[in-house]
Amino acid sequence: MTLAAPVSHSVSRSVVEATELPRIIRIRPGFHVAAFGLMKLLPARFMLDRAEERGEVGPGTTVLETSSGTFGLGLAMVCRLRGYPLTIVGDPAIDAPLKRRLEHLGARVEICPEPSPVGGFQRARLDRLEELRAEYPNHWVPGQYSNPDNPRSYALVAEQLAETIGVPDCLVGAVGSGGSTSGTSSFLRMLVPDLTLIGVDTQRSAIFGQPDGPRVLRGLGNSLVPPNVEHTGYDQVHWIGAAEAFAATRDLYARHCLFMGPTSGASFKVADWFSRRNPDATVVALLPDEGYRYQDTVYSDEWLRAQGLAHTGAAEPYEVVAPTEPGGSWTWLNWGRRSLADAS
Amino acid sequence: MTEDLAVAAPAPATVASPRAGSFRVDAHHGEILQGVFVTDGRLRRGLVTLPCPLYSTRATFLPTDDAGTTVRPAWRSKARRAADLTLGRLGHPVPGGLLDITSDIPLCRGFGSSTADVTSAIGAVLAATGRRLSPAEVGALAVEAETASDSLMYGGRAVVFAHREGEPIEDLGELMPVAVLGFGTSPGGRGVDTLELPPARYTSWEIEAFRPLRGLLRRAVRDGDAGLLGRVATASTVLNQRHLPIPGLDDVLAAARAAGATGVQVAHSGDVAGLLFDAGDPETPARLEFAAARLAALGVTETWQFETER
Repeated sequence: MTLAAPVSHSVSRSVVEATELPRIIRIRPGFHVAAFGLMKLLPARFMLDRAEERGEVGPGTTVLETSSGTFGLGLAMVCRLRGYPLTIVGDPAIDAPLKRRLEHLGARVEICPEPSPVGGFQRARLDRLEELRAEYPNHWVPGQYSNPDNPRSYALVAEQLAETIGVPDCLVGAVGSGGSTSGTSSFLRMLVPDLTLIGVDTQRSAIFGQPDGPRVLRGLGNSLVPPNVEHTGYDQVHWIGAAEAFAATRDLYARHCLFMGPTSGASFKVADWFSRRNPDATVVALLPDEGYRYQDTVYSDEWLRAQGLAHTGAAEPYEVVAPTEPGGSWTWLNWGRRSLADAS
Repeated sequence: MTEDLAVAAPAPATVASPRAGSFRVDAHHGEILQGVFVTDGRLRRGLVTLPCPLYSTRATFLPTDDAGTTVRPAWRSKARRAADLTLGRLGHPVPGGLLDITSDIPLCRGFGSSTADVTSAIGAVLAATGRRLSPAEVGALAVEAETASDSLMYGGRAVVFAHREGEPIEDLGELMPVAVLGFGTSPGGRGVDTLELPPARYTSWEIEAFRPLRGLLRRAVRDGDAGLLGRVATASTVLNQRHLPIPGLDDVLAAARAAGATGVQVAHSGDVAGLLFDAGDPETPARLEFAAARLAALGVTETWQFETER
């Protein structure tokens, strides 16, 4: 008996279902990218599914979340399609076009104007969120930084990579909540226990032990350490600067016609470096979102010049032995699957 | 190899001369993969069976004018029940019959002895009555007769099979030949009553973890890659540890690595396990020998070898 092969040309029931998974593209033999349209759609949809199953979300529930980036956008799409009211607490990093897009999707957007003295805007957003919880008795907070359904949602990506690439040797991704890198690698390691996981962070992010501070490169890094970052899973950690990430983003478009955002550039640059040093390894870089949000910034020469970032930055990373060791605008640490306490 | 149900049926016999029909079913050696799988938005228990041509069961059904089936030996009552259910499903083309079961499949050890009884009985009734049923219909009858089934009605194909519903979830394609070094996982081969085990309760993480296993198995079967197949089997074995643990699994995994096995598979609700090897690799005979010695050093005295058929 022969069953029909899995159908690859089928009608999707929503834009979420149609676009939540990445396209797997081979850059050169042994080097692939997983290019998402909007990666955060996947955890947003998955977390809401599980919450509905558990009965935590139902008719009349207001969804509350703090986000200044693409998780809010993914959540707004999923909530709109299912009819849940949504309030997003953000900070000035939400640019006007993103705020408009969220509002067009029916979300209420609250901006925290001032950072907290400790914990920055992240803390200020979380504090405001606590106030909103009290205002809406029937609420649900996805909590992308601590909800274990965030990393779990990436089993679908691991399945896709296993089916298309087989057994990758190395996975590279930007770290913000920890969901994509910790989640995808935990599933892939069932099949590839010695998978090398490389986390890409940026200077003055607290995730891997640097003191928190102002960051130009957004969409990765964090002022707090999210519980969803499983530190003992990472083999290498890279801290990459804005100039390097932006130049790599432009390069990704100019050379490979992949129109992606700056976290994608950062991930691609580190993956490209690892792939060149390990030519026999099969490497996959996660590219989290497309370039449209950044047309007036990363994709504008004028803007880059005004920021003093119109240069390619470091071509190679400098190896450090501690997260706080200075080493220029691109450093890497042989993290060795340590805990944060052991590495600091 | 298990006979193909689709071609087992002979040309219709004349009604006046009832004739015996016979059908043979191989044992299985547990599973390559067992867990829960999402299809059409539903979560279903499923497995991919590893066929084991070392042992088999043959059923012979002779139609009689008596109502209902008599089985020999009489204790193979699930086979009788399967024959009666099949006759019912076919609209009783004959009132009943005499069902003979001969089998060399060890009992209660995860070799699928009772499933083979049931499936061979269904096949024998079909052969005797000149009727046909699809593998999915055979699966449904088999589950009705004994609660759960394996996927051997699909012959040599790797089918993700809903073993408690008797339905295929996904047909991955023809299974590549694999060489297996089998061994028992409980001292003395005490055996396990598979149907007495409660179904595994998986964690939220485990439910998701079966997705990439299924993804890699698709690729393994598509490419005929025994190496990838072994990784899937090992992952499924490791995930099953929380539910029916194999004593000393870490040592077995280390022996498998040292011997160049592609992976370790288990009967997820039985007590047989196997080290998997690429049947097409010229190094495999030497690796099997080395692996048997490594297992012996771990105190595993009883091993057996077989190859899934090409």
